[in-house]
Amino acid sequence: MGEVIVVTSGKGGVGKTTTTANLGVGLAALGHKVALIDADIGLRNLDVLLGLENRIVYDLTDVTGGRCRLKQALIKDKHCEGLHLLPASQTKDKTAVNPEEMKKLCQDIAQEFEYVIVDCPAGIEQGFRNAIAGADKAIVVTTPEVAAVRDADRIIGLLEAAELRNPKLIINRFRYKMVQQKDMMSIEDIIDILAVDLLGVVPEDEQVVVSTNKGESVIQDERSRSGQAFRNIVRRIKGEAIPLMNLNQNGMLNKLRRIIGLK
Amino acid sequence: MASEAKKETPSSPEKTLTGIKSNFIDSNTILVQRTLRAGQKIHFNGNVVILGDVNPGAEVVAAGNIIVMGNVRGVVHAGAEGDTQAVVMAFRLQPIQLRIANHITRSPDEEEMSGTYPEVAHIKDGVVTIEAFSTGGER
Ligand SMILES: Nc1ncnc2c1ncn2[C@@H]1O[C@H](COP(=O)(O)OP(=O)(O)OP(=O)(O)O)[C@@H](O)[C@H]1O
Ligand SMILES: [Mg+2]
Repeated sequence: MGEVIVVTSGKGGVGKTTTTANLGVGLAALGHKVALIDADIGLRNLDVLLGLENRIVYDLTDVTGGRCRLKQALIKDKHCEGLHLLPASQTKDKTAVNPEEMKKLCQDIAQEFEYVIVDCPAGIEQGFRNAIAGADKAIVVTTPEVAAVRDADRIIGLLEAAELRNPKLIINRFRYKMVQQKDMMSIEDIIDILAVDLLGVVPEDEQVVVSTNKGESVIQDERSRSGQAFRNIVRRIKGEAIPLMNLNQNGMLNKLRRIIGLK
Repeated sequence: MASEAKKETPSSPEKTLTGIKSNFIDSNTILVQRTLRAGQKIHFNGNVVILGDVNPGAEVVAAGNIIVMGNVRGVVHAGAEGDTQAVVMAFRLQPIQLRIANHITRSPDEEEMSGTYPEVAHIKDGVVTIEAFSTGGER
């Protein structure tokens, strides 16, 4: 029986879909059988991120509605052996599925896959309740902004109420310089409020957008810093203890400065 | 939650906790053994003791005193039924808004240097005053 992990946030646009895609690719690259479920019904985009849009025939609601078998709806990733996607319907709305159906669906998929990662829609309404219904574990994504952290806190409270305890936190779009200038919340500030385990910190990185537009994942880009952060997160999900990477982008420069006596 | 709370048997009236002169000192008290997160609320017709934090976006309203064994960053209202003797006490007191009876204060708009020591808020000469909490003696 595989593990069902929901990726959620409360606030929209903080990087849930980006995280889901990268973790999926990362786990599959290590040889795991992974299924991604796009639970953002009515606003599908996980397929676009993975460049699989043109292969969709059936979607999640077709499976729960009994119009096709699970195997027919699961799409194989084109780059990554072992990675599959269950796409969301773009034409139906959130009420086309209920939490019981989602729970059953997650259980069925977990029979076949080692990791099942569910991309949750923003908000705390039915779409959220559907997405978490079948999850064993939760990952909460936030950005270092007051509003996003507030929503993450709200979500953690709701997850706890739904018996999804000890969610893990990913801080996305982290900008070292802005934190230095006290223009952004620091990792310590965020952990101080949310009081949950940190799974990783992903820096703000243009490469995320560049890869996304090519239907690729930044985790496969060996040189990108966000890719490195996601690779570390994947290993932490597997239970390895990997220290946080140095988030100071100018690390080299500062070292150089110190060496030549400028600092 | 509030309705599930049991009545405490009142202890002897002369054994009062330092400085708390509120009428509610010996009445109902509930113990909340977790952090209140954004969007979570507690309303109680007595004292509230929280073993955790009150996060931004969370709210505690009590007819009596509010004691938080943690950080207060949300909204707290003690003496909500009009008891001006009620107090709010916390390990760290940095509320967005703090009310006692019908007196309201809010956090300063600029970044405030708050101490890392326990503080108590009470009404003194008609204004909400926040002071370091020290045991023993009158404030
Ligand atoms: N680390 C990053 N650096 C730069 N851009 C990023 C990063 N993470 C995400 N983005 C960008 O932020 C935008 C929103 O990301 P994404 O779609 O993953 O968020 P989401 O939480 O799934 O949004 P929604 O709530 O709408 O589903 C995208 O354009 C994405 O490319
Ligand atoms: Mg999304």
